[in-house]
Amino acid sequence: MTGFSEQRAVAASAATAPPAARTRGLRKVYRGTVAVDNVDLEVPMGSVLGMLGPNGSGKTTTIRMLLGLVTPTAGEVELLGHKMPDGAALALPDVGALVEGPGFHPFLSGRENLMRFAAAEPLLATSAITTAVGEAIERVGLTKAANRRYRGYSLGMKQRLGLASALLVPRRFVVLDEPTNGLDPAGTREVRTVIADLHAAGTTVLVSSHLLAEVEATCTHVAVLNQGNVVAQGELAALLEAGSANLLVSTPETTLGLDALRERRIPARPVPDGLLVDLTASTAPAVVEVLVRAGVPVHEVRRQRTGLEDLFARLTEDSAVTELPDLDTLIPEEAR
Amino acid sequence: MTTTADLPATTTTSSRPRRAPLTRLLRSELRMVLRRPRTLIGLGLLGLVPVVIGIGIAIATSSSDGQPIGEGIAALVAGNGLLLPIFALVVALNMLLPLTGAMLAADALAGEASHGTLRGLLMAPVGRARLLAVKAFGVATVSLIAVTLMAVTGIITGTALLGGDGMLTSSGTSLSFVDGLGRVGLTVLLVTIQIWALAAIALAVSAYTEHPLIVVVVALGLVIVSGVLSVIPALDWLQPALITTSWESVADVIQDPLSWDPLVNGVLRAACYLVIGYSIALARTLTRDG
Repeated sequence: MTGFSEQRAVAASAATAPPAARTRGLRKVYRGTVAVDNVDLEVPMGSVLGMLGPNGSGKTTTIRMLLGLVTPTAGEVELLGHKMPDGAALALPDVGALVEGPGFHPFLSGRENLMRFAAAEPLLATSAITTAVGEAIERVGLTKAANRRYRGYSLGMKQRLGLASALLVPRRFVVLDEPTNGLDPAGTREVRTVIADLHAAGTTVLVSSHLLAEVEATCTHVAVLNQGNVVAQGELAALLEAGSANLLVSTPETTLGLDALRERRIPARPVPDGLLVDLTASTAPAVVEVLVRAGVPVHEVRRQRTGLEDLFARLTEDSAVTELPDLDTLIPEEAR
Repeated sequence: MTTTADLPATTTTSSRPRRAPLTRLLRSELRMVLRRPRTLIGLGLLGLVPVVIGIGIAIATSSSDGQPIGEGIAALVAGNGLLLPIFALVVALNMLLPLTGAMLAADALAGEASHGTLRGLLMAPVGRARLLAVKAFGVATVSLIAVTLMAVTGIITGTALLGGDGMLTSSGTSLSFVDGLGRVGLTVLLVTIQIWALAAIALAVSAYTEHPLIVVVVALGLVIVSGVLSVIPALDWLQPALITTSWESVADVIQDPLSWDPLVNGVLRAACYLVIGYSIALARTLTRDG
């Protein structure tokens, strides 16, 4: 997949800056089990990178090594320009993270829990702690439940509190591991808003998720992990573009259209309400011309974005998957 | 947003480790430990121990018409109120106080790890050595609070129920009230150091596991096994190494004049356990996966 490395003009300035995080040949073996193998990940400064992968693909282990929580078996990690885990004291104050679900004391209220973590934040002045905690609570919409014990929190409230602890201090880099786990649709939307706000403020964000729609809606970059390896990474748009070679034609006359296209050796197959045309050997204008000349009524022609779901399925299936997009894949949902 | 982190020493803030003030961390740790319900319940129960013993002795002496109610230190306590806190502490040192120390150490690292809160502290970041220091401070301080609390309720109960305007020593001499208080203070110190030693071992175990229960089991197992080994005559050569050996000598504080040798030995033995425990805990904390 060669097209991924091309940088668009808007990203050019970010490309010259050192990446927020970078790993080289990262490997982690837990008692004979290889959790992460030879991962070269790069999180460009200012990007929102979505880390995708099936369960057990090494997402969380990679993140834990990025944050210096786990020492790699082999390879290097650089976080905000500092070698990890030795540079933790230099890099981590600027990094906020929600890893492996929220961790808090059940007998303390949400606010007290945050106060405790705030006390440990190097960048917070002692006098600013109360304000910072209050703002973080407000930002994640927990104001009403802030003084209740964490024990009684719902899954979504726990997740929000975890998010709040990652946002206690203005960060340069925020790492969110499955941030929408257990959140209702409103909560999911709020997390997206938070990520968008962070991005707008110039903060680099790394979001790991198995929810593709979430990544597609919020990320500028994507890295796909499978079985401990990075199988693809790059700008989201470029990744989708590379896999997109279909044209969706709305027409009631599918049989007529198929015949016309086959005559010109253009591969196509019927789908509900029309035809799905493979553009690898043709172009959109040519296809439309063929159809119109054959007298096929065309209601709508749309270049079909491959959708992250297709891409993901292709990349994480076992073996022989890097071929051209085949026409048997599911049709993605309507473009949002 | 600055992106100067890659260039060495471009700004002072990016090349020098930044840390939260230590006093703030210690205060936060102490506040958290003292908010934990089981800490409070444990402290409350420990504070009641001298009261219960005092009431028991008061009832026993009032009904037995001056006959001896027991042997050793317990017999001395009747009419000798200042001995009550010392007696209560020596009794509690056998099981209740080690249990408390083990529980505090278990919650400090293993408990935090099981709640996922240790990760949060590591990512703040609190340096790993610093984290252990903060945890050790919390365990040590609350142990001291527990022992002091027992001494205070013991003094109050003893003087109120058992009376006595001084302290009758086991050597038969009398000490003034102030000197007696001094002996209570010395007991508090000695008992606390012994609990610190056991808690250090427990903290080392705590650094290895995510299950607080394992820490408590191992620490109390150590106490019980030491106690059993110490009564086997064939294993006398083992005595100097057993943690419980020092505990028996704590009762010597009511001799007059004080014989310092066993007390100093006990402190030195505790110091050895402290060094061993904290060395293991530190080695593990520095490499532990968060």
